[in-house]
Order: sequence, then C-alpha cells, then structure tokens
Amino acid sequence: MRLSFAVALATVLVAGCSVDTAGPVRAAERFHAALAAQRPDAACALLAKRTADKLPHPGQNCAEALRDLDLGAGGGLTEVRVWGDEAQVRLAGDTLFLHHYRDGWRVKAAGCRPVRDLPYDCEVES
Amino acid sequence: MSRIKDNALSLTFLVLFLLSLAGQALAGMLHYNEQQLVEGGEAVSFLTYVTSSSFAVDVAENWQSEYLQFLLFIMLTIWMVQRGSPESKEPGREGAESDEEQRIGPYAEADSPAWARVKGWRLRLYSNSLGLAMGTVFLLSWLAQSVAGQAAYNSERLADLRDPIGWSAYVTSPEFWDRSLQNWQSELLAVLSMVVLSIYLRQRGSPESKPVGAPHSATDVSG
Repeated sequence: MRLSFAVALATVLVAGCSVDTAGPVRAAERFHAALAAQRPDAACALLAKRTADKLPHPGQNCAEALRDLDLGAGGGLTEVRVWGDEAQVRLAGDTLFLHHYRDGWRVKAAGCRPVRDLPYDCEVES
Repeated sequence: MSRIKDNALSLTFLVLFLLSLAGQALAGMLHYNEQQLVEGGEAVSFLTYVTSSSFAVDVAENWQSEYLQFLLFIMLTIWMVQRGSPESKEPGREGAESDEEQRIGPYAEADSPAWARVKGWRLRLYSNSLGLAMGTVFLLSWLAQSVAGQAAYNSERLADLRDPIGWSAYVTSPEFWDRSLQNWQSELLAVLSMVVLSIYLRQRGSPESKPVGAPHSATDVSG
C-alpha cells in the first residue's frame, strides 16, 4: 500500500514537472509557415489576442499589419525554453515568445532581437 | 478528552497553521489571477495555483526563515546567555554542559529516552536531534525556495520578454536574496524582541515569561 502510494506520488511529480516543449514549437513554426505561405490571416489566428489587437495601425487589420512588417523566414528550431505558461522559441531567423492559453499556445511576441540587460525588442508584441 | 487537553497547544497551532495556509492559498490565487488578467493572461483554478511555482516559492520562503530562526535560537543559546531573560540559561552555564547536568549515559534516569542511556553515535545523534531536525527542514525549505523561485522568476522573465536564467544565476540574484533576507530580518527582530522584552515585561501564567514578581535580573526562570 505504501509502495503504491509512493509510485503514484512519483508519477504525479514527474508528470507535473514534465515540460511541454512541442506545443510552443509547433505554434511558432506554424506562425512562420503561415507568413512564408503568404497567409497572414492564418498567422494572425496564432497571435495572442492582446498582441493581435495591438498590432495594426489605425485603418489596418492584423493581416495587413503583419504583411507590412515582413518578418522574414523563421528557419529551423535552435532552442526552446518553457517555464510555466510562458515559452521562448528560438528559430534560426527569429526569436518568439509564447503564452499558453486554455485553447493552446499563442504567439505574444515575434521578430525579437536581444537587448543587453533589457527585454527583447520585438517587431510584434503586446 | 484528556488527550485533546494534554495536546491542546500543538493541536491549536496545527489548526491555525492549516487555516492560515488555506487562507494564503485562496488570497494568493485571487492576487495571482488579478495579475494574470492585467497582463493579458487567463485566471487559473485553485488546484492549478496551489501546484504552481508561484505558490510554492511564497510558502517555502516563509518556512525556511522560521526554521532558520529556531535553528539559530536553539544553537546560539547553547553558548550565549542574556542575563535576565527567561529564554536564556544562567550566566556561567554556557556550553554543552556535563553529562550529569544533561542526564545522559551513566547519569540517565529510569524514564530517560532510550538513546540518552547509550553511548556512541546514537547518543551523539540524539543529543543534537532538535538542532539537526530544524537545520534539515531549513535547508530543504531553502532549497525548495530556490527551485520554485527560479521557476516562478523565469516565468515572469519570459512574460517580460527576457531570457530565463539558470539555477546558479538565480541563487546569486537580487530576487533570491531579497526574498530570503526580507524574511530573515523579521524573524531575527522577533527573537531579539522576545529575548530583551522578556527581561522587563511579564505575561502572567505564560511559561514564555518570568513570573510577574520575578526580578529583572532573574535568568532562566519561567512562570
């Protein structure tokens, strides 16, 4: 009885500590695949709501704003880091930040360049 | 009924602890969800919050400081005295004291604990078991604070579009030491207050105080 409790506890701990890296990577790659395929509407659907709302200038919609930004190719995956509901996905040509919502991972920021000792400077952010 | 009465102090503190922990979990979740909504996130459930690094670090940082406080109090009062304080030994009794004073080995009594009557590692271990227990819980809680703290801090850093940091960078970061030291200073002030105020002030009936009529100079007396 005691052993089965220990096994159950260990299972819960391991499951609780396991990190889902596939979800944010898939969302980041789909975001860049949509941009590369000239489907900015599909890319907008992968943005966090606040990011999508903030992106367009007056008179623009999200898709038009993304097309104007011309983020460039994402490239292959180089690194992914996930802490809680936040993730950073580094592709060869871009760094993206994502947040996990109930309906899945969404891109909070993309087209990001590092700034020493400060937050990344991103073309797309909330 | 008599068992409850005999253990009333422990049971009361246990109930107060559990109520406080539940209250912290509830208030913490409401505060966390407020922040989540401000930052464009979603509210989380009670279960999600109490299994989060955010809740774990807040609990662990308080635990480690409490156990550090008692560890220091237990260990420093072996070698240091405070004249007039009921929390201190009499001046002149500093140190680990003799076997006779500690009632161990040949000086053990019929009702002494079994490991107080033997020699060797069991006696050494039992003679330091209180300090070891407090020290172990302190270190484990502090370790838990560092692990949960790193996770919570990295989640915040990612939300702020910053790179996450490793464990060694976290335990030398201002965030980790701010959390640790803000708890330590309050615990140390509380012990200092207890040691010094109990020289001059009284609480009738409490064993943590000297008897009301005891002189200020009386040390190691409880009422």
